[in-house]
Formats: sequence, C-alpha cells, structure tokens
Amino acid sequence: MNDLLVSASGLGKSYPKAHRPTDRLRALGRLLRGRDDHASQTVLHDVSLEVRRGESIAVIGENGAGKSTLLKLVTGVLTPTAGKVVVNGKIGALLELGAGFHPEYSGRDNIALAAALYGLSSAELGERLAEIIDFADIGPYIDEPVKHYSSGMVVRLGFAIVAALKPDLLITDEVLAVGDESFQKKCIRWMEDYLGGGGTLLLVSHSMYHVQKLCRRAIWLNHGQVEQYGDVFDVTQAYLAWNERKQAVAEQGSRPKSGLEFQISRFEINGDAGKQPQLVALGERLRLRANISSRDGRPPVVMFGLARADGTPVYGVSSEMDAVAPSNPGADSYVAEIEFDNLGLLPGSYNVRVHVLDSEGVRLFETEERALNVRGESREFGLVRLPHRWIEFSGGQHDRHD
Amino acid sequence: MSRLSLATHFVRRELRERYRGSFTGFGWALLQPLLQLAIYAFVFVQIFKARVPGADAPGYVPFLVVGMWPWVAFSDAVVRSTTALQDNAALIGKVALPREVLVLAPCAASVLLHLGGFVAILVALAASGQGVQLSRLPLALLLYVPMFAYTLGISLIFASLQVFVRDLVQMLAQLLTLMMFAAPIFYDRASLPLRYQGWLDLNPFTAYVEGFRYLLLGHGQLEISTLLILLATAAVTLALGHWLFRRLDPHFEDFL
Repeated sequence: MNDLLVSASGLGKSYPKAHRPTDRLRALGRLLRGRDDHASQTVLHDVSLEVRRGESIAVIGENGAGKSTLLKLVTGVLTPTAGKVVVNGKIGALLELGAGFHPEYSGRDNIALAAALYGLSSAELGERLAEIIDFADIGPYIDEPVKHYSSGMVVRLGFAIVAALKPDLLITDEVLAVGDESFQKKCIRWMEDYLGGGGTLLLVSHSMYHVQKLCRRAIWLNHGQVEQYGDVFDVTQAYLAWNERKQAVAEQGSRPKSGLEFQISRFEINGDAGKQPQLVALGERLRLRANISSRDGRPPVVMFGLARADGTPVYGVSSEMDAVAPSNPGADSYVAEIEFDNLGLLPGSYNVRVHVLDSEGVRLFETEERALNVRGESREFGLVRLPHRWIEFSGGQHDRHD
Repeated sequence: MSRLSLATHFVRRELRERYRGSFTGFGWALLQPLLQLAIYAFVFVQIFKARVPGADAPGYVPFLVVGMWPWVAFSDAVVRSTTALQDNAALIGKVALPREVLVLAPCAASVLLHLGGFVAILVALAASGQGVQLSRLPLALLLYVPMFAYTLGISLIFASLQVFVRDLVQMLAQLLTLMMFAAPIFYDRASLPLRYQGWLDLNPFTAYVEGFRYLLLGHGQLEISTLLILLATAAVTLALGHWLFRRLDPHFEDFL
C-alpha cells in the first residue's frame, strides 16, 4: 500500500481574463492551437504539498489566499496551470456549501448521485443508505428537493455522505462553521475517530480551535504562496500574530517622534537589538534592556510594557514605581534593564514597549516597540498563565496537592 | 468500469428527470413528434398535395415518418447537449467527475426516447397496412449505432464550444433548420432538379434519411460506398468531438 496519498509539486493556478466575449474567443483560439492561455489572475503560485496516510493537515490563511483553490486542485475539480498533482487513493471532498448537490433533486437522489460519483455500486449504496440518513438526521426532509434545505441541512447531508464513504483522504472546506453546535460536535467526534482509525484529513478552517484540535500540521497560505508549513501550533500562532499585527498597524498608523531631551538609542530583547520579532517559549526568561541618551545628563524614568499584538495591555511597570534608578555608565547615557523570570504569557504574539519619561515621570519623550512571539503548546485561554492549583476531592475529604 | 456505471446513472437520471412534473410522463416523447407529424402531414398532404415520386413509391406519411423521427432524435440531442456543461456548472466547480458523462447523458437520453417513439409508430404504421417492412427493423436499428456516434460527436463539439462562445446556442436553431431542409426529409432526392441532387450528399444526415427509407420502406438505394462514408463520417466526428472535448476540458471551469 502506498503511504503517499497526495504529492503535489510546484502547483500554480491562474484564471484567464474573460470579461468580454472577444477574450473568450481569443482564449479558445489559443487553447485549440495547444498553447497556454494568457493568465491574468494568479491565485496560487508554486505550492508543494505532500500528504501521507494518517496525517492531518490544516490549510489556513486569509480570504482569497488560495486555500479553496488548493483543495480543488487536489480533488481534481480544477486543473493546475503549473505543476502537477498525483493522488493515490480515494478522496471524499466537501468543498464549500452544497458541494455537488443538485438543487432540484431530493436528498435521497443526491445521495445516489454522490455514491455513483464516488464509484459505489447500488448494492454498496443500499448497505450504507440507512447509515447516511441516520447520520444526517434531517427527518422527512430527506425526500424533499435540496433547494428547500437550510444551509445547515445541506452540510449535514454532505457530511453524512462523506462519513459513510470512509475515504482514504477527507477534504473539507470550512463546512463545520455552518452546522449547529450539536452537529459540529458530532462531526468533530467522527473526524477524531476517523483520524484515530488511520484516516487522513486535509481541512480548511478559520477556526483555530478546530484546526488545533484536529490537525497536527498546518500550511499557511498568503497571497497564493506558502508562508509557513510545519507544526500546527507554530503555524497557527505565527498566522494569528501576523493577523493581529496587521490589524494593529491598520488602526494606529505611525506616530511622530518627539524625543529630544531623552532618546532611546538601543532596545534589546534577550540581548538582541534587531528589528525582527523575537521568539521566546512559554515559561522562559525574558530580559529587556534599553539604552537611553540624556541631553542634559539627567536620569530618565523608564517604563516597560507588554501588550497583546492587537493593543490590549497586559502589564506595565516603570522604574519610578519600583523605586529603582537606571544605571549610569557614561555621562549622559543611562541603561535600564528588567527581567521576567518564568514568563507567564500564553503562546501568541505580543508587543514589548519601552517608554522614556523625564526625571519627574511626567512627560513622555519617546516610545519604542518591538514584536515578541511566545511559542509553546497550550490550550489555555486568555493572555497569561496565572499561578494556580487544583483542589481535588478524594473520598469525600478535602485533600491538598501542593 | 465505474465510468460506465456512472454514465448509466446519469442517463437514467436524465430520462427520469426529463418528464418529471409533466402529466403524461414518457408520453410526451411520443406525443410531441406525433403532433409535429400531424401538422406537417396536413400541410404537405392536404395543402401542398405532396406526393413521393415514383411508380411504387410509399405514401407520404410513412415517407415523412421514417425521415423525420431520426432527425428529431438528432436535433433534440444536439440542442439539449449544447448547454449541458453550462447547466451543470455548479457540479463541475465542486465535484471531480469525467465531464463527458454530462454531455453523454442528455444525448443518449434523447436518442433513446425518440428511438422508442420511432419503433412504436413504425409498428402502428405497419399494423395499418402502410407498407413498412418490420422484418428489417433490426437492420434499421443497427443504423442507429453510427447515428448515435455522429450525434455524440456533434454534441461534444457544440457543448465544449458553447462554454467559450455563448452565442452558439442562439445560432443553433437556425443551423439545425438549415440542416433539416438541406436533407431530403420533407422531399425526395428525385424531386430536386438534377444539378442540385449531388449537393445533398454534403449533408451527413442525408445518408441516414435515405438509409432508413431504403431499409424500412424499400424506397431508393443504399450503396456500399454511401454506407462506408456514413460510417467514416460518424467515426471521424466522434473522434474529433472527443479530441476537442479533451483539449478544452481542463479549462471549462475557468470559463463557466
């Protein structure tokens, strides 16, 4: 048995320009002569992907990043403009809402159609029909035309069919978002069983909760290209960080600098003074250091702050509050350094800021900000891990575990 | 193998769908050409006093039936197949399937339905003593094989071109009318002035009309050379249709 279910290399997809009838005619002429059509809109560029049996991979990214296009290329609905896809094994795909359903046909007829498309004989379908109808759980609607279904019912039916087919590779595109709570749970339970039984999953979702729950690896697409591919926690955190930062930038714009009397000459995170985001692990040590030049040689008040990348403040403290004075190695240069042991920030992306105020701590002169990514595997909620302990009951008695 | 069962599934579905919601169901397959035949028979026999030339020529009604039923099958199949890809755009964008099946289904359904009607009316004509040679019906049915191949070829060509050139379906009615009158369906080859008679052979459907008349009514000739050209035309058309479809298939989704 071949373990490599999907092998795609250098995949690219471009859509032709087809606004005017003459464009279509010209495209037809070019295609008939065996030449490639002039592409105008590139949706996917040079994407390579391998899916092995038993893997679970999430595809994440913004709207229009090319996620659905990638799945369609893998299922064979679309033909790539560049590169190629080799698929071994049977694919069950739920692409978008109402995938492959004929609106005029009843649910039952659509089940038959889907089964025929999947290559089931009518005898095999007969064995599974009851199971499908039971899983979909849409009652008498099964004999109504699909056009009368609610979007949730369409998804129920679609998922029920795919579940009964037990494909080698299951591909779903943002379908969980539509079902109600109980059906979502049912689907997730089914998918977990399926993965536990050696199934393979390729999932598009905007819910990082689903992604982290179901997938072990993730591929992040950005403008049709692979931005990052790897462990699901790393990739989702990087993606969320990027997103939050983008949002923050859009909200703030740039702030003018005003510092004259006091200026930040250097800002280090764990000894690094570069501009790129710094990475620390959950529970590691974080050391911030700022060099400040003072025009008049007066000591500044220095404040360090941590904020979530979207701007939500987490913690801030100044040298004045803690009654410490920045050290003074040179005549008009000062150094402030602070250390957080066992950093409690949960995985995600943050901004670290240093503010310089005058000696009285009244007037703000300069602020510098750098990105900080905290990584680690954690499904805790919120911003910080607060020190805690669980009180357990045993034999009706209060028992403390410290 | 699974491709074949898929094709049967689609054809069955098409047959069932076609008359769903109409009161008479499959009856329409018979009723529609019968009504058409009644109109034509009235106009040609009662008003134009049309007669088939020749000493032991068949009556005009069987003459018309034998030419017209295969034509109705052909034109109905082509009209329905031309928009088949467009009509199934939702399916094409979301499910991986061999798309030839989408064209094959309406094409095969039309030919099958009208074949049923054809056999029924031939039996009725023979029973009313109209000189139809039912013993040669199996041979006539054999002629449906190349006719189906030819029809499917044309359907594949039109369906794939329609995806790119949406005007095609508008022109189709005119094209088919032209082709119908350019075949000896309402008239006999012998009724044409001699210098125009040869032109009829340019129309691939002429051979089918005359072939059916020869087989079922004993009217006219069916030369071996004509039969060979007919078979070759059917094979080449199907091959061309298949090639064209294959070449454009990867790009359908982009233009639908």
